[in-house]
Amino acid sequence: MTISRRVFVKAGGLTLVSLGLDPLFLGRAAYALRRPLASSSRPILVCLFQRGAVDGLNMIVPHGEGAYYQERPRIAIPAQDVVDLDGHFGLHPSLAPLKELWDNKSLAAIHAIGSPDSTRSHFDAQDYMETGTPGVKSTADGWANRYCQHDQEHANTPFRAVAFGPQLPRILAGTAPSLAIDDLQAFGLKAPQEATRDRLTRAFEELYDGAGTGLLASSSREGFEAVQMLKRADPTQYKPASNADYPPGRLGKTLQQIAQLIKADVGLEIAFADCSGWDTHVNQGSSEGQLSTRLRELGLALAAFAKDLGDRMGNIVVLTMSEFGRTIRENGNSGTDHGHATAMLALGGPVNGGRVLGRWPGLGVEQRFEGRDVAVTTDFRDLFGEILARHLGATDLSAVFPGFAPSPARFLGAIRA
Amino acid sequence: MPLSVITALCLLTAQMPAGSPGTLTARDSAFHALNRLAYGARPGEADSVARAGVMRWIEQQLDPDRISDAHLAAREREFKILDYDRGDLAERYRDAQRERQRMQREMADSYPLSDRRGGQGVRPEARPMQEFRELGGELQQLALVRAAVSERQLREVMVDFWTNHFNVFVGKGADRFLLPSYIEETIRPRALGRFEDLLIATARSPAMLFYLDNAQSVAPGSAPPRPMMSPFRRRRFGMNELPEDRPRRQPTGINENYARELMELHTLGVDGGYTQQDVINVARIFTGWSIERPDRGAGFVFHDWAHDQGDKIVLGQKFKRDGEDEGIRLLKFLANQHATMHHVSAKLCARFVADEPPDGCVDAAVAAWQQTHGDIRAVLRAIFTSPDFWAPQAVRAKVKTPFEFVVSAVRAAGIEPDDTPRLAQVVARLGEPLYQQPAPTGYAETEAHWVNSGALLARMNAAMMFAKQSSSIPDFDDHAQLVDAIDQKLLAGTMSAHTKSVILEQLTDINDPAQARTMAVGLALGGPDFQKQ
Repeated sequence: MTISRRVFVKAGGLTLVSLGLDPLFLGRAAYALRRPLASSSRPILVCLFQRGAVDGLNMIVPHGEGAYYQERPRIAIPAQDVVDLDGHFGLHPSLAPLKELWDNKSLAAIHAIGSPDSTRSHFDAQDYMETGTPGVKSTADGWANRYCQHDQEHANTPFRAVAFGPQLPRILAGTAPSLAIDDLQAFGLKAPQEATRDRLTRAFEELYDGAGTGLLASSSREGFEAVQMLKRADPTQYKPASNADYPPGRLGKTLQQIAQLIKADVGLEIAFADCSGWDTHVNQGSSEGQLSTRLRELGLALAAFAKDLGDRMGNIVVLTMSEFGRTIRENGNSGTDHGHATAMLALGGPVNGGRVLGRWPGLGVEQRFEGRDVAVTTDFRDLFGEILARHLGATDLSAVFPGFAPSPARFLGAIRA
Repeated sequence: MPLSVITALCLLTAQMPAGSPGTLTARDSAFHALNRLAYGARPGEADSVARAGVMRWIEQQLDPDRISDAHLAAREREFKILDYDRGDLAERYRDAQRERQRMQREMADSYPLSDRRGGQGVRPEARPMQEFRELGGELQQLALVRAAVSERQLREVMVDFWTNHFNVFVGKGADRFLLPSYIEETIRPRALGRFEDLLIATARSPAMLFYLDNAQSVAPGSAPPRPMMSPFRRRRFGMNELPEDRPRRQPTGINENYARELMELHTLGVDGGYTQQDVINVARIFTGWSIERPDRGAGFVFHDWAHDQGDKIVLGQKFKRDGEDEGIRLLKFLANQHATMHHVSAKLCARFVADEPPDGCVDAAVAAWQQTHGDIRAVLRAIFTSPDFWAPQAVRAKVKTPFEFVVSAVRAAGIEPDDTPRLAQVVARLGEPLYQQPAPTGYAETEAHWVNSGALLARMNAAMMFAKQSSSIPDFDDHAQLVDAIDQKLLAGTMSAHTKSVILEQLTDINDPAQARTMAVGLALGGPDFQKQ
């Protein structure tokens, strides 16, 4: 069974090699429309976590909805400032650098997306979004790591799954190899001079070579292989292509390093980065102000990333996510409090762009969740599952999202067929 | 045969438990015990424990109150956090929060603001915020200092074990100020007591009640007699995510979170034979177990008005309506279930013996548990005297966790950890930030979770840093003598021939003795031999 399944999968679902296929297998195979090819055209997923719960309503603005303006007298984005997308929704003006990508159909927005769990705790909701098991706290690993555990079609290169930051986030925690890289240029052994660094690297490599066949030996081999690969790629000499101009600050630097890693062809499949500062309870601002500043940085960084990678964006999907959205009504401090559904952005060649995806529930009182928040009409696992299956080629989503049955029937069509 | 060897053999046979294979030398046995019951050996310690008799040393460790620990007591006085109780910390947290909100308002008013993490225009942090952050750093570093310098090593190991078994995430709301007292008052005094007492103490602790949401669990339809007095109203910082989660709602029903983790993680284990209905009934039993006045430190309180007044059945056992005592009876009942004994014993054996614990030591631990009604010391003694503990395949079979690696390196290298959060930051970089595991499972014990290429490179870098501060190895002109001294002092003579030859080869063109020492100590601490225990 295992063998015939692999044959089937490798053949891209075109040939039925066995008549004894079980229905579950057929269900799984139906997800996999796209298979990984050679290394430089390998599909890549970049996840950006907007920690703190971004206000989806001011990011992707429902300017065609009267209730939006009634509920937000001080912080709504005036219709004349909104960068219109489809007559009903529009981008926050600070996201204007992304309009070009919308127009060339490589940017989509997903609205009213979120968790089936009703928690308004940042901690719980982030945890659920990263483990992929809303409501279940004891899940030890993250969904991106489980994908790597179960989809062994790809070779496990040391750079297959990389989180940019000092520590491995929950989404990549688990038994499949994954790296946390705080700074690409400082990855590897630290020593003031290159000669000392090379010497230490050689010495430790030899030490661990003698450690036999265990996990210590194999992991150290992977580590030194990664160091060598990076050394050849020489990240210190990086120049973004097409004069792409990353904004100053951590997000721009991180996205630039992800671009470097992609161009180095070291086998990156999943990259993850955090960007914080979205918890806008006080003086959120409107077209200008606190949220606007954060969105401007996000828009400039994403636009620079797409420009820098050029044709390579044909194999890349960038996905933003956030633990929940914010209240429809502004609060007494000209901010918003913790809500329910939010909006996400998907960007890249494989994205079915130029559309706002997902069923819009409306902002009317009776359409809201618990009378106050945007209702969730898309379970985030259906979007993540679609991207894993149709972009990365995952074959077993039930292993990635235990207790949930992602169904192609519920896929939003975020990835081009 | 030299006299010393004969003496060692006599000591070994006299001290070793019946049935243990005599393949380990007295020194190797002592080193093994120090690697598992302690955070590794300090230079020369394997020899001194071997001389005194390893089983005698183990008995001493099982009775920590009779071990004098003056050095640690002196070190603990450096930590301000030990002078503050829950109420003090709550007050400091509240001040820090107010300050943060004030600054947020100011920053928003003084648009355009720059990205605080982006580096431009970083504002000086207000004093209360900085102070509270420093206290958080102290909490982590205190754990490192205790593990590194305490003479009561086994107790420190068990504090770490139980803190992880009954994990509480320090980043969740009120747990930012409730965690210190959880460690000091709930876990530490009971780490070698009776499991049942520890279980009850964690169940009643404000930190756990908040972390697993039981503080919010009320019988459906119940309401406080005087609404204005409800702890869920007028909170200056509230129940779930403080202080941002502004629109407060009265809790309206039971919360199953604690009930589920109590059975799945703390007691019976995931295959412990309970059903979803049992989870619901356990949650009903704990309705009304809550905390009062988070702004004053949130003491335990039982709200009779919130308690489900019906009878409940758990695992076929009936719990008659009896208010708060229902919960106590249930905890005692769960603590003595066979599934609990097995689950917790297997976890202890995974920590002390092997990632995949052999049945023999688990059975011995369960038997001791049954005989002593869950006396943790008796359970540990059964593990330490089981043949599985001393089997050659158990020796050096486990990879150190990041915390164990850092503490053992500090001990071996003769580094006195300071009171800055520096070492705690190293542990975090290696993947195990203390008290920051969000999931109630705690951190994993098995090597698959700790060994990966990035983490190993980080261990090597940490080892080179420790080597520069090391004081346990003197300078030698002769490289062979240097490597031999490192083998004896850092690894109690267990360094592999391969490691020795690689280190020697690396030293060939280094003439400066200090430079050679740093290189050799770094390679030894960062190499494969020292990763194992």
